[in-house]
Amino acid sequence: MLLAADLLSANVGLIVWWGLVFLALLLLLRRYAWGPITSALTEREETIASSLNRAEAALEESKRLQGSNAQARRENELQAQRLLREAREEAQQLREREVLRTREEISALRNQAQEDIARDKEKALQALRSEVADLAILAAEKVLQENLDGSRQRVLVDRFIDDLSAQKHNQFPYQA
Amino acid sequence: MDPQALAYLGAGLGTGLVAIGTGLGIGRLAGPAMEGTARQPEATNDIRTSMIIAAALIEGVALFGLVISFILAFK
Amino acid sequence: MQSARRLLCLWCMLGFLAPTTVMAADDDEFDAVHHTADGYYLDFSPIGKIELPRIFIIRSEVTGYSLRTYWTTRSALRSGEMHASLHSEEVEEDTHVEAEQDTEALIASGDHLGATLVPNDGEVVLDLSMTRHLMFALLASGILLTIFLQLAEKYKRGIGRTSAPQGLFQNLFETLVIFVRDDIAIPNLGRDKYQRYLPYLLTAFFFILTCNLLGLVPYGATATSNLNITAVLAAFTFVLTQVNGSRDHWRHVFWPPGMPVLVKFLLIPTEIMGLFIKPIALAIRLFANLTAGHLVILSLIGMIFTFTQLFGEAVGYGVVPISLGFTLFVMCLEILIAFIQAYIFTILSALFIGMAIADHSHSEAH
Repeated sequence: MLLAADLLSANVGLIVWWGLVFLALLLLLRRYAWGPITSALTEREETIASSLNRAEAALEESKRLQGSNAQARRENELQAQRLLREAREEAQQLREREVLRTREEISALRNQAQEDIARDKEKALQALRSEVADLAILAAEKVLQENLDGSRQRVLVDRFIDDLSAQKHNQFPYQA
Repeated sequence: MDPQALAYLGAGLGTGLVAIGTGLGIGRLAGPAMEGTARQPEATNDIRTSMIIAAALIEGVALFGLVISFILAFK
Repeated sequence: MQSARRLLCLWCMLGFLAPTTVMAADDDEFDAVHHTADGYYLDFSPIGKIELPRIFIIRSEVTGYSLRTYWTTRSALRSGEMHASLHSEEVEEDTHVEAEQDTEALIASGDHLGATLVPNDGEVVLDLSMTRHLMFALLASGILLTIFLQLAEKYKRGIGRTSAPQGLFQNLFETLVIFVRDDIAIPNLGRDKYQRYLPYLLTAFFFILTCNLLGLVPYGATATSNLNITAVLAAFTFVLTQVNGSRDHWRHVFWPPGMPVLVKFLLIPTEIMGLFIKPIALAIRLFANLTAGHLVILSLIGMIFTFTQLFGEAVGYGVVPISLGFTLFVMCLEILIAFIQAYIFTILSALFIGMAIADHSHSEAH
């Protein structure tokens, strides 16, 4: 019966002691333990939060940079392609012009050559004609020395040769 | 009848009644809490916290009864 | 790890059994309440008991107020300045044990520790004697100071301030501190006001937790199963609540808004009662939870002795495994309760303080 009193009875001395001790404990812990601990925790959390924010910002920035880089690269590529295309077109045009000019030159050369040939042929024909004439005259002279005087014979031969050239000019073997 | 025996009897009956009340109370509390947890598993932590607080309040009332029983039994 | 835990459990149980067994052997009866109650000694039976210092403030007509200190109850009795008074319901008057030989006989029987000491001249104004629960509360305070001052030192050195926490202790207690801050203080007190009350909540939480767990240690006693100690804790909450109460808090107590005048007069006494009932409930809840838990454990062990007395030794031995199984279960429950009660006390304190300091608008429904 003594014991029940122990369980529920008030013990003023204990209350006094414990009130003082708990107050002291509270103040000591608040000053020397909870203060540093909670401030350290808050500080760490702020550090973590701010570093997260910074990392986020850096990521954003790098993404932005990467995006602009990609854009620049795309533009550069486009430009390069354009340049290439232009160069190719120019080269094409240049080549076509060159080909045209070469062709023209070739045809001009050919024409000139043909003209030269024609002229030479004419010249040769002229020379041949006079040569033939001379030969014929000589031959005729030889013939006529027997029966005719020279001048009348010569006229006859020239006429003959003119006729000959007018008739057979095209079949003349000296054409190539 | 011996008053002390009556006190013991009262204490025992009181404790039993307190147990019935508390059992009903905490049962009524825990059942819907479980249902809520099953329906919304993402709210489990909130439900558990408020369940523990409410259970402690119910238990507190029960323990008052128990203290009275102590007093009766050890008088 | 598993086996180490098992061993620890077994050791705890044996620790509980050792004093109780000896007790039963001594008196041939078993009283669970005796073990849960406070006392003026530390019980290390079967090794022995350590008597605690007795301190009295005494007022006598001859010498006025005086402080008397004795190292032990025994020495207080032997000094001849005090005598034991054994209260008894059956015998109306105090049984005074005054004769020298009677005192020695009382000391020999060990009952002097349960007796009330009365000075031969004058009366005790205040009994400031050390008690078992006070010693364990002091032990818990010492443990708290040791752990948290070291921890604070670690944080001051920068470990955990700028780097991650290191080691078991720092990680463990940091988790608990953050739990109290983020799950107890901030939700109930608000983000801008919690810092003022956080030290109290942390101290209360860790003190209650330490005391609760100390009660589960062999030869330990639970300081929180003492109503006086829980009352002091609740009184701190009460004082913090009332001192920091906002205008709204007091208006709600003395002139509840939004009510007819007649109802207001009915409500005022209820509200005033509510002010006191909240901390009283806080104190009794903690006390009763811890006391009940220990009583259950001790009663389960006591079953062995009860059955032995009632049905003989064979039945007694047969009850042992059942009794120990239940005891183990309740012990595990007690560990859970140790945490839950620390949490409940702290969160309800935070809730009461938070309700008192809140500046809520009057349109809010109640």
